[in-house]
Amino acid sequence: MDQSRRNFCLGVGAATAGAATLPPVPAEAAATRQGGDPAHRWGMVVDVRKCVGCQACTVACIMENDVPENSFRTIVSTYEVTEEGRSGTYMLPRLCNHCEDPPCIPVCPTGATYQRRDGIVVVDNTVCVGCAYCVQACPYDARFINHETQTADKCTFCVHRVEAGLLPACVETCVGGARIFGDLNDPGSTVSALVRDQAPKVLKPEQGTQPRVFYIGLDPKFQGKVDGTPTLWRPSAAAEHDDGYRVDEAHAEPRAAKEHA
Amino acid sequence: MMDTSIVEVINVTREVAWLPWAVQYFFLIGLSVGGLLLSLPGYAFARAGWRKLGRVALLAALTCGLAAPVALLSDLHQPGRFWHFYVVFRPTSWMWWGSIIIPLYVTALLVYGWACLREELHEQGRVDSRLAALYRLAALGGGRDDRLIRTAGLVALAASLLVALYTGSEVAVVRARPLWHTPFLPVQFLATALAGAAGLVLLLNRFAADGDRDVEVRANRLLAAALGAVMLVGALWLALGLSGLEPTHAEALRSVAGSEAWRVTAVWAVAATVLPFAIAVAKPAGTGLLTGLVAVHGAWMFRWTVFIGGQTVPKTGAGFYEYALPAGPDGVLGIVGTAGLWMFLLLAVTAVLPIPRRAAPGMPHPIAAE
Amino acid sequence: AGFSETGRKLVKGAWAGGKPENAVSGNAPKPEFRVDPASGDIVPTPGQIVAYTGCIGCTTLCGVRVRVDTERNRVLRVAGNPYTPMSTDPFLPYGTPVKESFKALSRFQEKGLNGRSTACGRGNAVLENVTSPFRVTTPLKRVGPRGSGRWEPIPFDRLVREVCDGGDLFGEGPVEGLAALRDLKTPIDPAAPELGPRVNQVALVTGVPDGRESLAQRFFQQAYGSINYVGHGSYCGGAYRAGSGAVFGDTKKQPHAKPDIANAEFVVFIGTAPSNAGNPFKRQATLVAKARTDGALRYVVVDPVLTNARAAAAGERAGWIPIRPGTDGAFAMGIIRWMFENDRIDAKYLSQPNGKAAEAAGEAGWCNATHLVVVQAGHPREGRLLRASDMGWVTLDDKERYGDRDAFVVLDPATGAPAAHDAAAAATLFHDGGVPTPAGDLAVKTGLTLLREEAMRLDLGAYADACGVPADVIAGLARELTSHGKKAAVNAHGGMMSGSGFYNAFAVVTINTLLGNLNWKGGTIVGGGRFPEGGDGPRYRLAGFPGQVKPAGIPLGRNVPYEKTAEFKAAKQAGRAYPAKAPWYPTAPGLTTEWMSSGIADGYPYPVKALLLWNANPVYGIPGAHRFARHLADPKTVPLVVAIDPFINESTALADYIVPDTVLYETWGWTSAWGGVPTKMTTARWPVLVPRTDKLPDGQPIQLEPFLIALAERLGLPGFGPGAIEDMDGNRYPLETAEDWHLRAGANVAWLGKQPVPDAGDEDIAFSGVGRLLPALKATLKPEEWRKVAFILARGGRYQNQAEGFEGDRAAQRFAKPLQVYNEAVGTSKSSITGRRWPGTASWMPAVFADGTPVGDVHKPEDWPFQLVSSKSVLVSAYTIGATRLRHLHPENPVGVNAEDAGRLGIETGDRIRIATPGGAELATAIVRHGVMPGVLAVEHGFGHKEYGARAHVIGDRRQPEVPGIAAGVNLNDLGLADPTRPGASVWVDPVAGTAVRQGIPAKIERVGSPT
Ligand SMILES: Nc1nc2c(c(=O)[nH]1)N[C@H]1C(S)=C(S)[C@@H](COP(=O)(O)OP(=O)(O)OC[C@H]3O[C@@H](n4cnc5c(=O)[nH]c(N)nc54)[C@H](O)[C@@H]3O)O[C@H]1N2
Ligand SMILES: Nc1nc2c(c(=O)[nH]1)N[C@H]1C(S)=C(S)[C@@H](COP(=O)(O)OP(=O)(O)OC[C@H]3O[C@@H](n4cnc5c(=O)[nH]c(N)nc54)[C@H](O)[C@@H]3O)O[C@H]1N2
Ligand code: SF4
Ligand code: SF4
Ligand code: SF4
Ligand code: SF4
Ligand code: SF4
Ligand SMILES: [Mo]
Repeated sequence: MDQSRRNFCLGVGAATAGAATLPPVPAEAAATRQGGDPAHRWGMVVDVRKCVGCQACTVACIMENDVPENSFRTIVSTYEVTEEGRSGTYMLPRLCNHCEDPPCIPVCPTGATYQRRDGIVVVDNTVCVGCAYCVQACPYDARFINHETQTADKCTFCVHRVEAGLLPACVETCVGGARIFGDLNDPGSTVSALVRDQAPKVLKPEQGTQPRVFYIGLDPKFQGKVDGTPTLWRPSAAAEHDDGYRVDEAHAEPRAAKEHA
Repeated sequence: MMDTSIVEVINVTREVAWLPWAVQYFFLIGLSVGGLLLSLPGYAFARAGWRKLGRVALLAALTCGLAAPVALLSDLHQPGRFWHFYVVFRPTSWMWWGSIIIPLYVTALLVYGWACLREELHEQGRVDSRLAALYRLAALGGGRDDRLIRTAGLVALAASLLVALYTGSEVAVVRARPLWHTPFLPVQFLATALAGAAGLVLLLNRFAADGDRDVEVRANRLLAAALGAVMLVGALWLALGLSGLEPTHAEALRSVAGSEAWRVTAVWAVAATVLPFAIAVAKPAGTGLLTGLVAVHGAWMFRWTVFIGGQTVPKTGAGFYEYALPAGPDGVLGIVGTAGLWMFLLLAVTAVLPIPRRAAPGMPHPIAAE
Repeated sequence: AGFSETGRKLVKGAWAGGKPENAVSGNAPKPEFRVDPASGDIVPTPGQIVAYTGCIGCTTLCGVRVRVDTERNRVLRVAGNPYTPMSTDPFLPYGTPVKESFKALSRFQEKGLNGRSTACGRGNAVLENVTSPFRVTTPLKRVGPRGSGRWEPIPFDRLVREVCDGGDLFGEGPVEGLAALRDLKTPIDPAAPELGPRVNQVALVTGVPDGRESLAQRFFQQAYGSINYVGHGSYCGGAYRAGSGAVFGDTKKQPHAKPDIANAEFVVFIGTAPSNAGNPFKRQATLVAKARTDGALRYVVVDPVLTNARAAAAGERAGWIPIRPGTDGAFAMGIIRWMFENDRIDAKYLSQPNGKAAEAAGEAGWCNATHLVVVQAGHPREGRLLRASDMGWVTLDDKERYGDRDAFVVLDPATGAPAAHDAAAAATLFHDGGVPTPAGDLAVKTGLTLLREEAMRLDLGAYADACGVPADVIAGLARELTSHGKKAAVNAHGGMMSGSGFYNAFAVVTINTLLGNLNWKGGTIVGGGRFPEGGDGPRYRLAGFPGQVKPAGIPLGRNVPYEKTAEFKAAKQAGRAYPAKAPWYPTAPGLTTEWMSSGIADGYPYPVKALLLWNANPVYGIPGAHRFARHLADPKTVPLVVAIDPFINESTALADYIVPDTVLYETWGWTSAWGGVPTKMTTARWPVLVPRTDKLPDGQPIQLEPFLIALAERLGLPGFGPGAIEDMDGNRYPLETAEDWHLRAGANVAWLGKQPVPDAGDEDIAFSGVGRLLPALKATLKPEEWRKVAFILARGGRYQNQAEGFEGDRAAQRFAKPLQVYNEAVGTSKSSITGRRWPGTASWMPAVFADGTPVGDVHKPEDWPFQLVSSKSVLVSAYTIGATRLRHLHPENPVGVNAEDAGRLGIETGDRIRIATPGGAELATAIVRHGVMPGVLAVEHGFGHKEYGARAHVIGDRRQPEVPGIAAGVNLNDLGLADPTRPGASVWVDPVAGTAVRQGIPAKIERVGSPT
């Protein structure tokens, strides 16, 4: 991308262009949102061209959020793609899209899943009954049942960090600089500028979910369900049992003793 | 030779989140609703010819209807929080509606069942036994009351339709899964439920009733009709998908095309529908055990395929997630557990209300004669 | 029964699962600090510290920041240190207060996006190594035979006593201890005094250079006195380094340059895969990602296997060209030929005969392309560079003749007359003819002429046939490479580890010489180097000490000229000077490859009496070395084996004793970049955690340092103990703890450079977690020193500011010596087996065994239609396999098979295959890929472990867990070959460099089953 152009857009020129590219939240949707500061609308832009497939984000997310073994809030799907005799590695970071119109919310029978006024979609684990309806409803396989809490789990945009003025763990440690996080309501933010100037795409636009995770360099072949030879990866939840020992015992300090300061 | 080839090297496998418990629930609640519907002509509408079949169907409705919610509760990962459903108003969620409808249905079913069986309870209360008093108590001192049966039956009918509507819609609204996201699904659920219920009637007629031939023939006819409906709806679904007229169906087909396992499943499903259909049409008598078994199995298979199979289709990733039925409560034990519970309920009901003695041919029914 | 779970959950009520901390954020610990969105003010979180230290997740050794839960003594998460170029680009000015550095990582003004400082996937997961159940935390002594997997914990002093004093340690007869073995006088073999004293029979192998080498060398070489200290170079990227060393004119230290990715326009990576592996892994990944999108970079990866380096989303900016394994020399010589033919060499650069002329011509470096080489057949100086003394211009005594003061000879392009290289301006590039000398006319050629002849030996089509890259692709690449001035470069590494590795690398690096890109922004740079901690000053004399030994003799790797040995003399006398018993490698540095085979297994040139393994795993890492495990396990072959390592790996499992070492965030170490960083830097790794190893009575944790110190004390070695360290004023200080060494090393680092670093203020100390070290800092260092060292530790190292990396468009740190188009040392060295000379320029030389037999003649392609290669796993390194979080992400290493090959053999993704080589057979899982060159089998390195937890060891009465997942996949090295032309023990090595061959191993496969 053209450096000077981007700089221009980050500046005054950008402010006038405004955040007009993104439609405003429908009033009735906004009414059901709770918590968070409506001044912000957090979002992410993933520049796929910059992703090196190092999975730093994946592991950082696990460490930051104490994601249980064999579960993932984010992953960088990695594909070998060959087109007209040319092969390349396509690396696609996936996480919750914090959709503007998230299908995971209306289905929730308890209201455990809700959207904050800053757009972050979260699960209240004290309310969730673990019915997994939201898991079914998310078109992106972004959710799972956390077997430690027995409740629905997913990316929170590291809301605890964002509120502390920090960046999400995966963004902070993104080796390629592919994950860019910021306030879509702030026309001067990097994400706003990228959304404005780079015409980024979203995953599965036909679902009408209006994701707020945008992708630069998203190849249409990977926009929906990928048509290819699946990975040999097996859920090692089962595999680990095959290992013949319980993960818990393996840790010098068992997970049971886990208490955070 | 494809001109584009994609090999997935790293990706996650998402586990199945609706467990075999859910299959059991949808199976049992379907059989219950089907059973209830089949019992209505004999009881609520007092058609004498349907009465015997109705009793068997009622047995199915009651036992399945009582076991189903237990399976549903078990599918929650936080069953102790089931009351969370009842302290919120979540009209956008079909599951929330379900949480209202299920108790309604079960209550209606119980009242209706009681109304239908009151006559038998009353009867038992007249037998000289130590339990007679209890039976009399249970019958609330009355006998057959067709108006009560009809009223209760109509309420139960309404509730059962709500169940059919909510169970079907709950799954059909999941746009994220093209295999589920079709208005056909509730109809398919209902049709297979009816077929399954007819099948269960055929089985119970043999094992928990007197093996009446009349009932068998009638149930086989019903089964054939239900299976006919199943085939019709299925064919329509497929036609819309293959022709591309319905994009979701087409996408659903695409998502499973090229899978050996799904091909086998499809062949199996067709066989499990066509075969009993043909037999039931050609030879409705003497075949009940076979058609019944296949039909019940078909209803279960349909749900297993929809739920477990459906969840093994990745929403974004390539190919399929592998599902191996776990041995524990999340798998085999769940299936065996619900089956055991149902069996227990069946034994209990039949113990309380033994199979009425076969009436001598030509003789009027003793009670009706009174 | 089915409802038991439901029942249990129901009984538990509202919390069927674990109750997390927070309703929304679950178990996420509190953020490490809070940053006020308006003011940027930092409020730390009690109970947590954020510290800048070092990572050992791979040999990149980045500076990282760790977030420590102080109460639980655990690292919660790892990210990058914003002061270091290893983790950040652009990185913070060194003077930035620590508090400000936290701000720079935050959302405040979106600083954290541009100043992003990272740890890679491994770096994020490797914290698991700290709490790994497989760690050794107490000294162990084997029970039963070596390798039996049974150990007895023993007290530290007993360990030291037994290792030093020896005795009947295992009930297997007497074992000589280190005391008895430290014989600095008695020759190993009186008939071959050149082998050196008996002390050389004690040998030490080390792997990961974790920043404590200067201390280890002080102990082992300077104090104990053995010459046999070796690193992992020969099985890391040794062949590349050797080829580069040939070009840089130092085949022992092997300097090398790396492309300036940030400013380059076009780079060809040949056998190195930036962002898939490569060193520095993370920095290269960051720079490549940035340069291919925001910058001007286009790059092509030449590799038999597609890796993450060719990111499809980068489109035309990143390309992949498959190449047949081991044939990069053909590919590079093809490019070189094209450059000559199309006059696309940087003639201006190449024609400068000396540094001054180059400077005057506006060049940033120079080379010996114009220097004349004697080519007269049979002449005693054949293959040598012509010198001033040969011309009769100077007369020097024997000592000085052909030394630095004896100038080289070039031709003046105007007159055609010979001239001293250092007196001339631009000199003649091509010359093939005679020069008049006092001894008559002598046939000479310029180095460049020799190179051109070598390149013209085959035509482009023949090169293309050899390497499998079409001629037009080679030509196209050459054109592109030569279209960017000095902003184009080639680079290589692990892909050179083939049977032709040395000359392949020589050829690849020579392309850079012809591009004239060294020392240029956007070209290749040697990097800023380090602030050396272990030198003699500026504060403490750490390099030398009174009574130090100068080790002497021939190292076990035989990396000296055969012609200087008694064996040679005897053989010559017997009329058959060649072959030697086993190959010698005069131009190579230490060779673990040869240690393991001839050295340990055959005892050639002398047997090993005691072996120390420190942070190394040669049995796993060297192709074919697994074969010597049984020799290593035999006390008759090596009577004493002592490992210093935190884990039990495939090599240390065979030890007699294991000394527990500390891991990453518990340790000290002073490291720098492997290359590719324009500025000077030294990363300080310091213990941010209390080590989990056992404590000594004085409270020191058991690790390398106290072990060496205790050995030195018991052995009475100089250079350790009270008064062992001298400051610049001659005052003496003790070397009795790890801190005694490392903190004084830190003082040296602090005072290096133009001026010493500033003092750390109280705020720096408070925010950085260095407070933990204050007692040690104050107790060990002088009042004027401790705050400066604290300044360094608080920033995780010392880093020159980014702007100082370049002066205009030249690198600030330049390689000043001449590059070698013709390397005299190489061109005059001989194979000790054939007695034949090696070429002195880059060349294409298909793989041969030691006796010169082409590998393909022995292992015929008809029998072995495939070739194995290995690439690093992007996720794991060999010793992070225990990290469950990585394994769950990528649990196995299916072997890549080309789609057409697979189709022919009926192999599908997921099938089990059997891979056989002349060196063994292994079962593996196949993955069918287009991204694998036909005829190639791609093995990802880091899997197929037999130890590290794959097998349970019993320590005392405690059984370690056993995790079959750790054993998943295959290790290519278990399929490595021996050299069938060598009589004794061997692994297949490059015949010049002696380096391990892991690329291009002949193989065949068959399908044995479908997935289960
Ligand atoms: N087939 C194949 N073989 C290869 C390679 C390949 O790509 N393919 N790569 C080669 C390369 S490039 C190299 S460099 C070599 C590496 O080979 P080596 O350097 O011999 O060994 P490593 O496996 O890196 O591990 C070194 C040791 O460091 C220890 N260690 C790990 N973490 C720590 C720590 O925090 N503290 C301390 N004190 N010790 C620690 C481990 O326990 C291990 O014993 O392998 C080579 N072998
Ligand atoms: N992810 C990760 N990064 C690492 C490490 C790690 O363990 N994991 N280790 C670090 C270490 S110790 C080192 S030395 C560096 C090494 O970094 P690199 O040298 O970049 O890595 P390698 O994987 O050893 O080899 C590079 C490439 O050479 C290719 N190759 C194999 N044979 C041939 C051939 O004949 N010709 C050509 N042209 N290419 C060939 C391989 O497919 C591989 O992709 O990486 C460092 N970084
Ligand atoms: S990505 Fe899925 S989980 Fe996230 S908001 Fe959208 S629908 Fe919900
Ligand atoms: S699993 Fe929890 S969050 Fe998801 S729909 Fe059910 S109650 Fe709502
Ligand atoms: S924002 Fe946080 S929770 Fe979401 S993927 Fe990134 S690290 Fe994980
Ligand atoms: S950390 Fe960044 S570069 Fe690395 S895999 Fe994740 S998104 Fe890609
Ligand atoms: S590149 Fe190596 S040293 Fe750097 S963070 Fe990753 S694992 Fe650690
Ligand atoms: Mo290496």
